[in-house]
Amino acid sequence: MAGLELKNIQKTYGQVEVIKGVNLKVEDGEFVVFVGPSGCGKSTLLRMIAGLEDITGGELYIGDKLCNDVEPRDRSIAMVFQSYALYPHMTVYDNVGFGLKLAKTPKDVRDQKIREAARILKMEHLLDRKPGQLSGGQRQRVAIGRAIVRQPEVFLFDEPLSNLDAALRVDTRMEIAKLHADLGATMIYVTHDQVEAMTLADKIVVLDAGVVQQVGSPIELYQRPANLFVAGFIGSPKMNFAPVKVDAIDADGVTVSGQDVINLRLPIRTSGVNVGDALTLGVRPHDLAIAASGTIIGRVTLTERLGNETIVNVELPSGASWLAVLAGDHILNRGESLSFHAETSKAVVFDKNGQSLVS
Amino acid sequence: MKTSRASLFGGFAAIAATFVVFVIPFLFIILMAFKDKQQSALRDFSWPNGFHLFENVYEVVKTRNWMMITAFINSTLITVISVTLLIVLAAMVGFVLARRKTRWNGLIEFLILAGLMIPPAVVPTIWLLQGLKLFGTLHGMILIQVAYNLPFSIILYRAFIATIPRELDEAAVIDGARPLDVFFRIILPLLWPVTVTNIVVQSVGIFNDFTNPLYYLPGNQNATVQLTLYNFQSQFSTAYNLLFTNILLITIPPLIVFMFFNRQIVAGMTAGAVKG
Repeated sequence: MAGLELKNIQKTYGQVEVIKGVNLKVEDGEFVVFVGPSGCGKSTLLRMIAGLEDITGGELYIGDKLCNDVEPRDRSIAMVFQSYALYPHMTVYDNVGFGLKLAKTPKDVRDQKIREAARILKMEHLLDRKPGQLSGGQRQRVAIGRAIVRQPEVFLFDEPLSNLDAALRVDTRMEIAKLHADLGATMIYVTHDQVEAMTLADKIVVLDAGVVQQVGSPIELYQRPANLFVAGFIGSPKMNFAPVKVDAIDADGVTVSGQDVINLRLPIRTSGVNVGDALTLGVRPHDLAIAASGTIIGRVTLTERLGNETIVNVELPSGASWLAVLAGDHILNRGESLSFHAETSKAVVFDKNGQSLVS
Repeated sequence: MKTSRASLFGGFAAIAATFVVFVIPFLFIILMAFKDKQQSALRDFSWPNGFHLFENVYEVVKTRNWMMITAFINSTLITVISVTLLIVLAAMVGFVLARRKTRWNGLIEFLILAGLMIPPAVVPTIWLLQGLKLFGTLHGMILIQVAYNLPFSIILYRAFIATIPRELDEAAVIDGARPLDVFFRIILPLLWPVTVTNIVVQSVGIFNDFTNPLYYLPGNQNATVQLTLYNFQSQFSTAYNLLFTNILLITIPPLIVFMFFNRQIVAGMTAGAVKG
């Protein structure tokens, strides 16, 4: 088993810079998730680690070995593709054993390893079938089996669940988590689905436009996003934002107000904030609650009643649209005026460059 | 489903046309092969007087010191070797063209198309073969067949390779495959439907080729089956019964190839490769 280190990794296609200097350390046995919107470079980064894309600049270490120019087969990695990429003309047995066959593993050892992988993934009954005769979930299982059997140091997953239906996705997600616990291998997982990221990861790497926005544990990212992008990307439903101005500063915090927020006291320690500064306030939909004396007032435009909670879409005076997630079932009418109390201890503020002021 | 009268009529017309164009000439060949020399000289569509097929076949095979046997061996060698080379080389070229985009691709594609469109010049080719000491040899003939037929095979392959997802190559590379492994173990097996098409089209074409062996493969020892047709034709007398028996004999191998592989042209080999 081995960790992984990326030192100022860069990738350019002609003039286009796709990955702009990524530094990252992945510990041995860690489950790291790369997350970000489409086109942020997360798949490219994974493919560079796999050796399917050349590294334009920087250094990639797998274990202690510099792997920039090492062939994929010698990097001791295995990869699971979004489209599974099973060899359609081979049976499941041969698909799983293909890598071993190429490595000229003796037949009996090969057979034992294939059956062991099949046992782990509970697919012994599928070994004689061709990929065309399998369902989506079974194909994904075979693809994972093909990775396991090589006993790699690092597993790479490229959006492995995005072709599965919702129910199967949840099951397979749990299986991957279990697999990680059982094998204890280093895993790098690319997804645009933040639920997958939050549930699977030891460490999430949020990427946008080829730049690492923040690295941290899921809860860290949720509670203390480093910037506006991470705040908006992590958490579902999305965090609400409003422009505010600093009214007063004292020892315990700041008081801010704006068009949508009236005299909200935030218990945050501030350095470098002056009265009159323009900031962005971020409040999670779950941190809003209906209160008669609330400081945030809006009109209901849409409600979604889920039974255990109610998602309310409100329009604030400035025209901004906020979401509030209220516990329990509420019957609210469209156009009704509501005032909310914000849980200020969990609120975040960002300076005019979008960087978080809460540390 | 209700079949309209027009489409029924169209179907009959098509069957009738096919019968006239393909089946009647073949029946004529068979009938002629059964006749003796006098009756065949009439060249009509009459029923044979007596059964002369076996003596005709014997006569055809033993003519000019068993030339037919030599011709069959030569033709089979040329066909099998050149079709094998064609398939491997064309699939390789198609693979590289479809997978590796460079600025030379346009030029290469133009050259392939040019190879398809521009007729080869015979005399310069003979000079070249003589210079290379390949003129009048079987391997020279094989190279000629490969060169002449390569563009067509490449074009057949290339479009199909483009439909094989690139992730299959990548998965194989991660599994530890070297480029030749990727080609021979992953890509080539998946190309089977096109390979069958190629085998049928090219082997029939090469086996039945008359002009190229005539130009590039002179000499009795080098005869190919199509050239044996000359044995029974001359300016003043032609043994039509033997000529048609000869035609019948040399028609059989391509017919077998066609019937055997025709049933194997099954698409859908890539089903299941990707989500679908």
